[in-house]
Amino acid sequence: MKHGALSILPLAAGVAVYGFAFGLLAAQVGFPWWGVALMSSFVHAGSSQIVAVEQFAGTSAVIGAALAGAALNLRYIWIIASLSEVLSGLSLRMKLLAIHVTGDENWALTMAERAKNPEAGVSFLIGSGLVVITVWTTSTSLGAVAGSSLPNLEQFGLGFAFTAAFIAMARGLWRGSSNLVPWVAVFAVTICAVTLGAPKAYAIVAGVICGLAVLYFVKNKKRLAL
Amino acid sequence: MTFPYWMLIVVLAVAAFSIRLLGLFAGDAIKSSRFAWMLDDLPGLIIVSLVASSLAEQSIGTWIAAAAALAVAYFSNHVILTMCVGVVAYGSLVWLGF
Repeated sequence: MKHGALSILPLAAGVAVYGFAFGLLAAQVGFPWWGVALMSSFVHAGSSQIVAVEQFAGTSAVIGAALAGAALNLRYIWIIASLSEVLSGLSLRMKLLAIHVTGDENWALTMAERAKNPEAGVSFLIGSGLVVITVWTTSTSLGAVAGSSLPNLEQFGLGFAFTAAFIAMARGLWRGSSNLVPWVAVFAVTICAVTLGAPKAYAIVAGVICGLAVLYFVKNKKRLAL
Repeated sequence: MTFPYWMLIVVLAVAAFSIRLLGLFAGDAIKSSRFAWMLDDLPGLIIVSLVASSLAEQSIGTWIAAAAALAVAYFSNHVILTMCVGVVAYGSLVWLGF
């Protein structure tokens, strides 16, 4: 557990910066620092929290904002499923703890560590995960404390920081030209939906459904061509 | 903190943990199903949609800053660096009156 906790520290520094920025944004939207702390410790999903709060700020539609945030977290079905070997043999209580503290960073680090050393397992995952969730909760709360005493930072470009972060995340998820057509479709449909007056949270859902439909069509076309 | 704020935290926490639970119990079954491709591609689609929703109906300055962030992301593949360059580009363009 200690090995995992120490190994994750460089990545945790990045989480702290990201968390502080989220805390600032959440405070601007009206969340008190303890509300941000509650959300961070119980949700523990950075990008989902950012999206949900951003959508909530724009529309105040709770379900739409939460769905947009949760939809972004769907990759965790895959991530947690990939841990089935790591988690095998654990009690249900420990499994629930392990999946809650699993985030992108400590999951990736655990998988990389296991590739080098198969002995690295659930204790590494939980040790690194506990550090990440602690850093995330603390940094978001500190951001919210600072945010409530600062002017509206949106005008200085803080809101754009998340747009830039999502651009960088998209770059990380780019797998080559096979992504091009569905990604262009998602982009175009979402832009059109917002331009036509749809709330952003629902425009995102519409865009993603369209993207999946295009992807399904492209995959089927390729299969038929073979 | 008013009721909608509480609701957002509760609904998001339940949704986030349900997704994790689904992954736990689905395990290998999902990976080997015919819908595995969907889970694989969904994160990218959602992220692109998020970028599009934040750029829709924005000024030309915001689009130029996004292009700058995209260039940095393409070459560096680094989230924090892209955020920093994006914000500086955005702030500079706002200052210049775009």
